[in-house]
Amino acid sequence: MTTLRTRWILFAGLAVVVIASYLITVHFRTTASPATQAAFDYLETLPESSVVVFSFDHEASSLPEIKPISLAMLRHAFQKNLKIVGLSLFAEGTAIGYSLLRKTAGEYGKVYGEDYIFLGFKPQYISAILGMGESIRRVFPQDYLGNVTDTFSIMRDVEDYNDIEMVISIADGDRTVQWIEYAGPRYNQKVMAGLTAAMITSYDPYLSSRQLYAVVGGLRGAAEYETLLGKRGGGNRGMLAQSSAHIYVIALVLIGNIIYFRNRKRRGRG
Amino acid sequence: MDIGVLTAGILTLAIYSFLYKDNPVYKMAESWLIGLSIGYALVIFWQTTIIDILIVPLFKDGRVVLVIPFALGLLMFSRFSRGSSWLSRIPIAFMIGAGAGVAIPAMLYARTLKQMSASVMPLITENGGFNIEALVVAVGLLSTLAYFYFSREHKGPIGKTAKLGTYFLMIFFGATFGYTVMSRMSTFVGRVDFLLTDFLHVIR
Repeated sequence: MTTLRTRWILFAGLAVVVIASYLITVHFRTTASPATQAAFDYLETLPESSVVVFSFDHEASSLPEIKPISLAMLRHAFQKNLKIVGLSLFAEGTAIGYSLLRKTAGEYGKVYGEDYIFLGFKPQYISAILGMGESIRRVFPQDYLGNVTDTFSIMRDVEDYNDIEMVISIADGDRTVQWIEYAGPRYNQKVMAGLTAAMITSYDPYLSSRQLYAVVGGLRGAAEYETLLGKRGGGNRGMLAQSSAHIYVIALVLIGNIIYFRNRKRRGRG
Repeated sequence: MDIGVLTAGILTLAIYSFLYKDNPVYKMAESWLIGLSIGYALVIFWQTTIIDILIVPLFKDGRVVLVIPFALGLLMFSRFSRGSSWLSRIPIAFMIGAGAGVAIPAMLYARTLKQMSASVMPLITENGGFNIEALVVAVGLLSTLAYFYFSREHKGPIGKTAKLGTYFLMIFFGATFGYTVMSRMSTFVGRVDFLLTDFLHVIR
């Protein structure tokens, strides 16, 4: 019972810390990491009407991190008048990707089929990635809504990776690795990623070997991107709560260690 | 209030009720999550794989060549019969052969050759300065490899180098664990954000 009660106190403490952080207003000064800065600078310098692919390769469970990253990058792309081709290589990411794309497109008055399109989900991701190097329209003959892809003006000039400036894989797993491995070496396709924090260290080797152009990682990455963009969103809003939660966990670790060493000392005396 | 937000809010609270103890409300929310996830994936895969890639092109567009993958797919079900289960080896062999043929060159390039070339960096920068990052990478790489070198006993110089490798491994595990904790905290922060803004309208 004591263990259970301790657990409840710890969880309740975390909940109080996070909720309290949302109820007070503190503006964090977020400095962009080199990886986030590189992602921002790349989209910033792309000429208008350049085509970028947003691939929503994630599950619904990672939405709290994925959503602010996606929204910040999509807003930036629409603000720069880039053309966006959305798709998903992960079934659960399909509806989420479409919804985020529609939401941000609406904010900038973008027209479906002209400024952006969502091609939907394609199983067998390796064959889809390789197939897009031959013909994107052949891999996606219809869009997410069942319309023939050819009928949209945005797709008339998009045949394969030669017409795509950047693939931005929004992922919570290893799907971005497949973009790097199959679209990178064979088709010279540049790839950048929006990742959950848990995946950042897994992608560091690809970043340092320059196979991955840039990474926007976790809620912090989203906050950095929002700061660069000058639009506060879910990333910045969550930073105080996240930082407070980290301080809370560090405090618990310290207290736990102090209790452990004190008890060990007592046992030693006994 | 939007019915979707209301449902999501109630289900979020139902899932977090597990922190108190296992209870029927949590069980119900858990079952819904699993059922909906499987149902959603099933519908998506049925439409995008069976209907879009097989049924429509084969029966509507007359692409007869699709009979071959269709037959290979059907052979997978032969595993359910002990007498004919050997037939399933044909599509499995095809899948493994094709998969390995496609994957091995790509993985060898991206995961081995490119990583090797990225690990070899000049110790002196273009400006004539000392490249401390290159030194850390070189020492970290060699000492970590020494830790996984089992052909000689870890004694003497090899033992000390291997020991140093364990420190690099610990730093990596620590960084990965730290990022994982950060990720899980972000998930909780995201749900609290949703509950306070969309569900309870406590903050704007």
